[in-house]
Amino acid sequence: MTPQEDFTHDAMQYAPQLFSTAMRMTRNRNNAEDLVQETFIKAWRSFATYQQGTNLRAWLFRIMTNTYINKYNAQQRKPTETELDDVEELFLYKRLGAVDQSQLSQSAEDQMLSMFTDDEVKNALEELPDQFRIPVLMSDVEGFSYKEIAEILEIPLGTVMSRLHRGRKSMQKMLYEYAKKRGLINEALLPQGDDE
Amino acid sequence: MANCQETLNEMYAYLDAELATERATEIIGHLKVCTDCQSAYEFHAEFKSIIRLKAQKDELSEGFLDRLRECFGDDSLKDA
Ligand SMILES: [Zn+2]
Repeated sequence: MTPQEDFTHDAMQYAPQLFSTAMRMTRNRNNAEDLVQETFIKAWRSFATYQQGTNLRAWLFRIMTNTYINKYNAQQRKPTETELDDVEELFLYKRLGAVDQSQLSQSAEDQMLSMFTDDEVKNALEELPDQFRIPVLMSDVEGFSYKEIAEILEIPLGTVMSRLHRGRKSMQKMLYEYAKKRGLINEALLPQGDDE
Repeated sequence: MANCQETLNEMYAYLDAELATERATEIIGHLKVCTDCQSAYEFHAEFKSIIRLKAQKDELSEGFLDRLRECFGDDSLKDA
């Protein structure tokens, strides 16, 4: 295979991952498809500058993230850290006891997690403001390291960590609210106060 | 060995495989002897894996991959 064919073959392998992330970014199938297409067109144009041995996957996600931020004027680099409410540590874990057992078929400890539907998890992610959503997507869904995420987003490592932390807690709170709406939570079962 | 507070603080760094080996060993050491931290850890490990599992399933539209292949110009279409 020529280097071009190699490159195409390797890049195409990442298409489903890029598409899923594009779906969470744009929240719309047509826009997500356009975003991945644009990413591949840009990647192909930059092929001459692509160094063999570079992490192709991270490179493609970086192109896509930049394209998304520029195209949708995402608030990625603006320091709007107040955009998310501060959520208590271990938010969801501390509320496990409030799951109404009678509403669930499972009895395992992990019921709080298995009870969430795909759509609820996707929605919770998509509800996060961009600057929190993209780090959570890159870490939890795509498995990139903090350093790779810092490079993809061009933000400091410490910022990656704090946004991940806040984004994850905020997702937990949203999922809890979804469960409440579905009648799966009985708050009377929660321990009262923080004096324990 | 790490204490409870340290373990909870560094739980995600451990889950994300971001801790140095030595520190990871200290966290594991604590998880082995503390059932409270162990169960918090298991919950968050599952939370992380469930996000991955549930947010990664998006079916591709028919013809989308073909359209993507066209982004690479003619070279890539030789064996298509
Ligand atoms: Zn402990």
